[in-house]
Amino acid sequence: MSQISRRQAVALLGALGFGAAAAACAGPGGSPKPAGASGPAAPSTGAVTGKVSFAHWRGEDKAVFDELIKRFAAKHDGVEVAQDISTSNDYNAQALQKLRGGSIGDAFATFRGAQFKNFTEAGIYTELKDSQAVKNYQKGLLSAGQNGDSQLGLPYQVVFPMPMANLDLFDKAGAEIAPKNWDAFLGMCEKLASAGVIPISWPGGDVGNGGQLFNCMIANNAPVDDMCAQIEQGKLKCTDDWFIKMLNQYKDLRPFVQPNATGTAVEPAQNLFSQGKAAMLATGSYHLAAVRGLGAKFPIDLVFPNTTSDGNGKYEGAYNATFILGVNSASKNQAAAAAWIDFLSEPENAGYYANQTAQHVSVDKVEYTNPDLKRLSPWLQKKTALAARFQFNNLDVRNAVEASATAVISGTSPEQAAAAAQKIVDERL
Amino acid sequence: MSIHPGTAAKHKAPDSQAAANAPKVRRRSPTRVNPALYLFPLPAVAVIAFFLVMPTLQAFQYAITDWNGFSAAFNYVGLDNFIRAFTNDSLFTNALTNNLKFVLLVVIAQTFFSLILALLLTKNSRGSILLRALFFFPTILSSVSVAFIWKFIYDPNFGLANSVLRTVGVDGGAYLGNDAQALYWVAVTQVWFHSGQMMVVYIAGLQAIPRELYEAAEMDGANKWQQFKSITWPFVAPATSIVVAYTTVQSFKAFDLILGIAGNPPKSSLDILSTRIYSTFANSEFGYAAAQSIIFMAMIALVTWLQRRLLRLTPKGE
Repeated sequence: MSQISRRQAVALLGALGFGAAAAACAGPGGSPKPAGASGPAAPSTGAVTGKVSFAHWRGEDKAVFDELIKRFAAKHDGVEVAQDISTSNDYNAQALQKLRGGSIGDAFATFRGAQFKNFTEAGIYTELKDSQAVKNYQKGLLSAGQNGDSQLGLPYQVVFPMPMANLDLFDKAGAEIAPKNWDAFLGMCEKLASAGVIPISWPGGDVGNGGQLFNCMIANNAPVDDMCAQIEQGKLKCTDDWFIKMLNQYKDLRPFVQPNATGTAVEPAQNLFSQGKAAMLATGSYHLAAVRGLGAKFPIDLVFPNTTSDGNGKYEGAYNATFILGVNSASKNQAAAAAWIDFLSEPENAGYYANQTAQHVSVDKVEYTNPDLKRLSPWLQKKTALAARFQFNNLDVRNAVEASATAVISGTSPEQAAAAAQKIVDERL
Repeated sequence: MSIHPGTAAKHKAPDSQAAANAPKVRRRSPTRVNPALYLFPLPAVAVIAFFLVMPTLQAFQYAITDWNGFSAAFNYVGLDNFIRAFTNDSLFTNALTNNLKFVLLVVIAQTFFSLILALLLTKNSRGSILLRALFFFPTILSSVSVAFIWKFIYDPNFGLANSVLRTVGVDGGAYLGNDAQALYWVAVTQVWFHSGQMMVVYIAGLQAIPRELYEAAEMDGANKWQQFKSITWPFVAPATSIVVAYTTVQSFKAFDLILGIAGNPPKSSLDILSTRIYSTFANSEFGYAAAQSIIFMAMIALVTWLQRRLLRLTPKGE
């Protein structure tokens, strides 16, 4: 082997470094198009066989999905479904990068709001409008998975982001479970406080869970249904009268939430409710299983803080359709992935999922056997507003707007809190 | 005595002929080695190039784009992201202010506290060794565990802090729920977490001081403060440079502790630069987040350099 000089060696290493630099200067994203993702044509058809990767973030549902996978495999010879589970934070951050190549997530779930929008723009979804699955859903609950005329995703779970109520404590205090207007709601809180319990346990220290109350408070106060989208676009402002009125209603709640509520994390808030120290837990029905797990034995219903003064509000509650199911447009096994989504959307299987996980589903004709779900099922028929906070696509804006409510509970004046939120919104316009 | 180069040349000139006649001294040729030897560093160079150089260069490139992290479309926006950070993003400037405040609080408290601990526990008695182990213990915990432990200590309803206060009839506060105080409470946690480690650095410095110096000082009638000022401090001063530099970098990057204790996203009173960058990435503003990362990197480099310039604490005589 011939020898090389030090200079030549340095040149060689320099060339390597230059190559790395040049490679680094390739366009962001590395490829001009999301690899493999092709946009919303219907999933391809064919034999339901081979491996299906099902990507989602609900680790707590793994055993339930395992059982459903067994049942699915029993129906179709040679098909295998593997769950690819991430934590919800990781899923938010990395799911699109993982899915766009199609190697994982033949079938997948998405969060409502910004993630659904990002996935739609990246062309990850196939069109499910004409699928067998879509026919099984309640029509009114499908909007969160639509983009224009396309039905890209199927919102599977239905949760009610409304305060849960300990009915025993309500009975004991003689408090009304369905207050007709804001004064009635405050009167109800007064009665509960007089009975020696904390009326509302509110996890103000937890941005995500503390923010759910906002869905109820804004529903009947806002002049339009897409109020949060309009705030983000600058068409409506936090300093508008209707928003300040809502913050003043938050101010009315100060005496009825637990002391130091803005420092309370979600687990202690759940404990206050489960132990019967608080009459309501201002998060949502998605915490049913958690509070039962903490030992709550009392009957539970939901309360809607109706913010109207005359009781003539447009909405009787709030709901959210999340865990949106989709078939990956980059998948090599779309036929089996679509069949899996169809299978999950059959009332019998959706019912199994719902009753085992204590979550309602958007699928029609499901029989709820779980006692909590049975009790809360009438809410599925009420006129409920789709949770407004998920209209925000910019998380900084969402957090700033919701933080105005937390600031009011901690003692800031509604006007000051609104101005601080609007400042952030203006910067993001 | 030095000779001026020109003078030396003049002196040598008459001998140039003789030098020419002298046997030639072979000039050293460029080192020639077996090229196979250059293959050995290649894996390391490749790893550094692909995992350090490339991402860093890419961060610089992303920082001048409006790329959202997902789409193929992006625009080059020049220095807009950097300008925006300082002129039109109060969340960023708030995080920057919080971070500087946090660093200052922690550096002062941790340096002082770990020095006091070290002074109290330098002696190798059984009690001291036990206490040293006790104070060092938090260091071996993961930051996430520490965050969760303290999150529950600070809980206003079930937390240890308020439970203890209630026993003496005092109503505790909201701690992390109080925007004016939250950062101070996290600073307390950070100091608790890392002071044991810094104490060890100081103890190492203290144990290197010859005992004879103290004996001589005592014979001369020096009191404890004079002994500290004239003997102890000069010897532990270099350790202080290390402690301050390490604590500064650590406090700038207290990401996991803040996120664990305050949740994701942390509220604005607890938002620091690293959590802000994380939120910006999560908000699909990849280009802007890259620009914030570069500002963050520059800031740590600047503060570390300033410290090295300002805190040249060396023992006397060096």
